[in-house]
Formats: sequence, structure tokens, C-alpha cells
Amino acid sequence: MNPELERLVCHRWVRLVVRWILGGSFVYASFHKIVDPAGFAKIVYGYYLFPDYSINLIAIIVPFLEFFPGLALIFGIYLRSAAIIINSMLLSFIVILSINIARGHEFDCGCFSFGEAGHTSAAVQLLVRDIFLFVLGVHVILIETYIPWKSADSCANRLLKNNARL
Amino acid sequence: MLYKDIAKELFILLTFSVGVAFAVNHFSPGGIPFFGEWDVSKGVITAKSRDDVVVRELEIKDILEAKEIYDIGNAVFVDARSRDDYEKAHIAGAVSIPPYKFYEYIIEFEALCPVSVPVVTYCSGRECEDGHMLAQYLIEAGYSDVRVFIDGCSVWFERGFPIEP
Repeated sequence: MNPELERLVCHRWVRLVVRWILGGSFVYASFHKIVDPAGFAKIVYGYYLFPDYSINLIAIIVPFLEFFPGLALIFGIYLRSAAIIINSMLLSFIVILSINIARGHEFDCGCFSFGEAGHTSAAVQLLVRDIFLFVLGVHVILIETYIPWKSADSCANRLLKNNARL
Repeated sequence: MLYKDIAKELFILLTFSVGVAFAVNHFSPGGIPFFGEWDVSKGVITAKSRDDVVVRELEIKDILEAKEIYDIGNAVFVDARSRDDYEKAHIAGAVSIPPYKFYEYIIEFEALCPVSVPVVTYCSGRECEDGHMLAQYLIEAGYSDVRVFIDGCSVWFERGFPIEP
């Protein structure tokens, strides 16, 4: 990898901004679902993918799986696990969106508010957004798991040293 | 060791999130039970929240029964869909009261229909609870004979029953 790019990827502020964008998005996305679980349950039903018995449970649990891992990313707690949970959900959203785009099913995403346009062109935009967030999540997981140095400078330096050795 | 640490963090974060989710849902006024009613053959779908508007006893599940009431002619059919949808097509003779604008329309409606008149509300079908919401508002306004035609205009149109415009 280009050393400059490595330095950028490892930079403390870049890591912080990535975490805040990802965490902030999920905390924000969880609010309306927590306030109105019945409304969210109807959105989940509208995907026509989940068995009836699971819809209410999804509507109860998922908003908090967005909220707390999002909060953990913002405050820098359990970063790897928070990013793994968030990316697992993003992967599920991507699969769900792809299935609905493929079968041409119109639906209400319910991601950031209820009543978001669910027609196919909007679904493609949602897919792009989810893939972007997924990439941010991968960044957090890789940086926090495989480069376990605490400061950005040392992270970049160690990477550069490794490159020099090679 | 790394995976053990991640597994431990995951367990803590997931357990905490799920635990708080159930606790908040239990105490929240808008909380929902673990299982809702999502089978359209049983009526209008609902998460059965504490502030649920769906009342099964009010439902007219058979379109022929709705048509019979319509043909007798003493009941007023009230469309709970948006004004735009109503203007595109509606059950012939129906009036429009979108429940989200109930207080804008109810005074005019009360002037036309006394509270003793039987009222049948409807919206687009069994996945729409606005007919039930409107029924609750009308009951609160004093209407005593209110029913909800749950198949709504979609099935009515399919059957070729009278529509306007």
C-alpha cells in the first residue's frame, strides 16, 4: 500500500471521523424506530421477507442494535465489536435491498424515517449508501483489529517500518 | 486471544442492547408485544401496540356484506385515504375524511350526517389501518354505528362495484 495512503488511513482524525459518521448515522437511524416500534414493525412487514412471528421481535430489538453499537463507536468503546454488529446489520440490509430491487418490489426503507421513497431508483441509492457505510465499518474493524497501536502516528510509523523491512 | 476478546465484547454489547430493548419496550407507552397480527386473512395487520387502533369487532371481512350494506343505502361510506387518492377514484357516494386531517373535515361531516347514521370506513385494504383510525375518531365524535370495511377500495374496484368519478 502507498505509505501516504497508509498514513491517511491510520490517521487519528480520519479514524475518529469514520467512527463518528458511522456511529452517528446509526444512532440517528435508531431514534424514530425506538419511539414508534409499531410503525417500524409495519415497515419490516412491508419487506415481505420475514415470517410473521419474527416481525415484532425484529422491531423491538433492531433499533437498539443500532443505537448502542452506534453510541459505542462515537465514544470509542468496544470498537471492533460495535463495528462487527453494525456491519452485520448493514450486510443484512444490503441483501434485503438487493432482493427487493431484483424482484421489483416497492417498499418503505424506514432507515432514517418512515415513509422514505421505496421505488426502485431510491432503493439503488439506499444500496449505495449502505455499501458506503459498510466500507467505513470495514475500516474500523481492520484498523482496530489488525493494527493494534493506539496512536495514529505510531500506527503509520509501524506500517512504514514494515514496508521498509520488506 | 484476539478472537476471545472480540467474542467477549460482542457478548456484552449484544446482551446489553437486547436487554435494554426488551426493558424499554416493556415500559414504553408505545410498546408492542412479542408477536403481532400479520396474517391478512384474519383482518387488518397490526403490531398490537398499546395504542393500537385496530378493533376486530368493527371489521367487515366479507366484501359481499359490505356491498349489501351499500345497497341498502342507509349507511355513509367514508374514505380514509389521502385526498389525492380519493379524488382519483373512490366508492360511489363515499365522502373523504383522511384521519390525519380529521378535525378539518369533521365539522362539515357532522352537519351532513347526524351521529345516528351508520358509517362504514375504508382505506386501501388489509395492510392499511387508517380505516380503523378513522373509525375510532368517529366513535369519539359520538357516532355509535361505525364499521370498518377492511378489504377497502382495492377489492371493491377489482369486483367492478360502483365507483366515482
